[in-house]
Amino acid sequence: MAVTLDNVTYSYNIDDSHRIDAVKGISLNIKDGTFVALVGHNGSGKSTLAKLLNGLLLPTSGEVKIFGNSTLDPNKIYDIRKNVGMVFQNPDNQMIASIVEDDVAFGPENLGVERDEIINRVEWALSKVGMLEYRKRTPFKMSGGQKQRLAIAGVLAIKPKILVLDESTAMLDPRGRSEVLEVAHELNKQDGITVIHITHFMEEALEADRLIVMHDGRIAFDGTPREVFKNYEELKAIKLAVPWETQMAISLQKAGIDMGDGIVNEEELVDRLCQLL
Amino acid sequence: MSIVIKHLSFTYSAHTPYERKALENINLEINEGDFLGIIGHTGSGKSTFIQHINGLIKPQVGEVEIFDIKLTPEKKPKVNLRKLRSKVGMVFQYPEYQLFADTVEKDVAFGPKNLGLSADEVAKRVKQAIEMVGLDYEAVKDRAPFELSGGQKRRVAIAGIIAMQPKVLILDEPTAGLDPFGKEQILNLIKYLKTHCSPTIIVISHDIDEITRFANRIVVFNDSHIAYDEPMQQLFKHSRQLQKMGLDIPRAVKVVNNLRARGVDLGEEIVTAEDLLKAIIKRYNEAHSTDIDENAGIFDMYDFSQKWLTSEQREELGLITRKEEPKDEKSHKVGKKFGLKNDKKIKPAKKEVESKSKDKEDKE
Repeated sequence: MAVTLDNVTYSYNIDDSHRIDAVKGISLNIKDGTFVALVGHNGSGKSTLAKLLNGLLLPTSGEVKIFGNSTLDPNKIYDIRKNVGMVFQNPDNQMIASIVEDDVAFGPENLGVERDEIINRVEWALSKVGMLEYRKRTPFKMSGGQKQRLAIAGVLAIKPKILVLDESTAMLDPRGRSEVLEVAHELNKQDGITVIHITHFMEEALEADRLIVMHDGRIAFDGTPREVFKNYEELKAIKLAVPWETQMAISLQKAGIDMGDGIVNEEELVDRLCQLL
Repeated sequence: MSIVIKHLSFTYSAHTPYERKALENINLEINEGDFLGIIGHTGSGKSTFIQHINGLIKPQVGEVEIFDIKLTPEKKPKVNLRKLRSKVGMVFQYPEYQLFADTVEKDVAFGPKNLGLSADEVAKRVKQAIEMVGLDYEAVKDRAPFELSGGQKRRVAIAGIIAMQPKVLILDEPTAGLDPFGKEQILNLIKYLKTHCSPTIIVISHDIDEITRFANRIVVFNDSHIAYDEPMQQLFKHSRQLQKMGLDIPRAVKVVNNLRARGVDLGEEIVTAEDLLKAIIKRYNEAHSTDIDENAGIFDMYDFSQKWLTSEQREELGLITRKEEPKDEKSHKVGKKFGLKNDKKIKPAKKEVESKSKDKEDKE
């Protein structure tokens, strides 16, 4: 099992007498090689959950295990961080070097990897995200999508088994978003990397193997995206939306047109409309 | 005519190896009452363009006329930029990163104070602006901005601009990074501001489905030029060209185009979800001899568009923050968190405003 959460609670201390439970008793297993989408409105606890996965936060109670190693074990935390790579929201906050290949080399350098191996890894990581031709350039003049792909390359150079994208597409334009998603799906399919993609965009969640919906520190829904989107009334109630096409089908259904069940994308919507019209 | 732009060109880092043309011979007239959407992929020039409209960038070539203020490459006559910025309000991307004061009230007051308004007028406008963005003035005025949620912070930042009561309001990616519910709230707020605050609104967005919810006119930037400038219903006749530019087209237009390719023509001028619902129901009625009301389809992601002003429903929708604890205790806590001593406890801004106006009266 890539990730195991056993009754995990995390509380932020506001002061001595006030605490907010951001994650409330979550138990969860994620199999190696799965592409998981994690959604929830602001404040639902999803980013806290992400930070628990590589020991940036330690559970207040319960246990988080990555490939069997607990994040509470100080002897294992190094291994865990090597295995769980995280990419964050803001592309401008994650660059540390002025040249692309230096930036990617930063991780393995800090792990004491041999020079030749670093060169190999940098080349491999940059080609994985389609940025090899930019290796001698400076990251600061790049587009948001390129910067996020570079951030992913920096994480890949550490050779993680799990990639956590914490709203990494939120600040990008549509083109940048699809660039980043494409890279994430490729890494998942070709290299078997487990991907945990946190997002607000429901149509991004559609492509995942598994969709986990968080609300108020708990898991509200967990299943394939198709299964989860059937609960559209409940999803709206917890301030989330369903894909546009699903909403369209629901609106027509409510008006009295039989749209059938489970429309989640454009193709299915158009197919059904062609039958009807 | 509110804004007239003539032959505007702009080049970044001119005469260096990094030289890059951002705008080339832009001509555009923006009318009072326009609800203008600006689209274009990253680097197409749209941000450079709007920065010209409130004088953040001086024209290199060409001129920008905003109401009666003319910006030209010449140094003289000197332009009153303060006057310009009181007329054109700009809400940047991620405006919540620019909140800086220790209370919401002080932050919102910064703009109008700098316009040189009287303390009473400032206080009045601050209250009005905070209420206008759907926050409870009494509940939030003394709170630190960073205690609020992301969507609330963004609304405070917008309040800081509309407190200057600009005639033209520009918003750059106003919903970026928010969750779906937060997005809906901001979109509804923008519509509300159009009728209640700034008669001319310009919105830049990457999300075309968002733009089509309110714009009556769309300008497309591509490669430093204006590629299209059309009424919203007309623009998507150029769907193929827009897609070639790497731009999204509205989902309803995609569905209509797909249906047309498969022999079902729902007609032109369908842009929004509501348009599409109507057209489908109409066609369905014809095909099945049914009698469904064409307006029966409601595309309600969240059904609160009509409920703006009843306080009960606002509260229900989270537009008003419920007070959980006494305010005084809260501000005390903030001070403690940041290592401030108790005697430096954040004072409510209102008192300060009052005492200042008192001073003034005394002097008079």
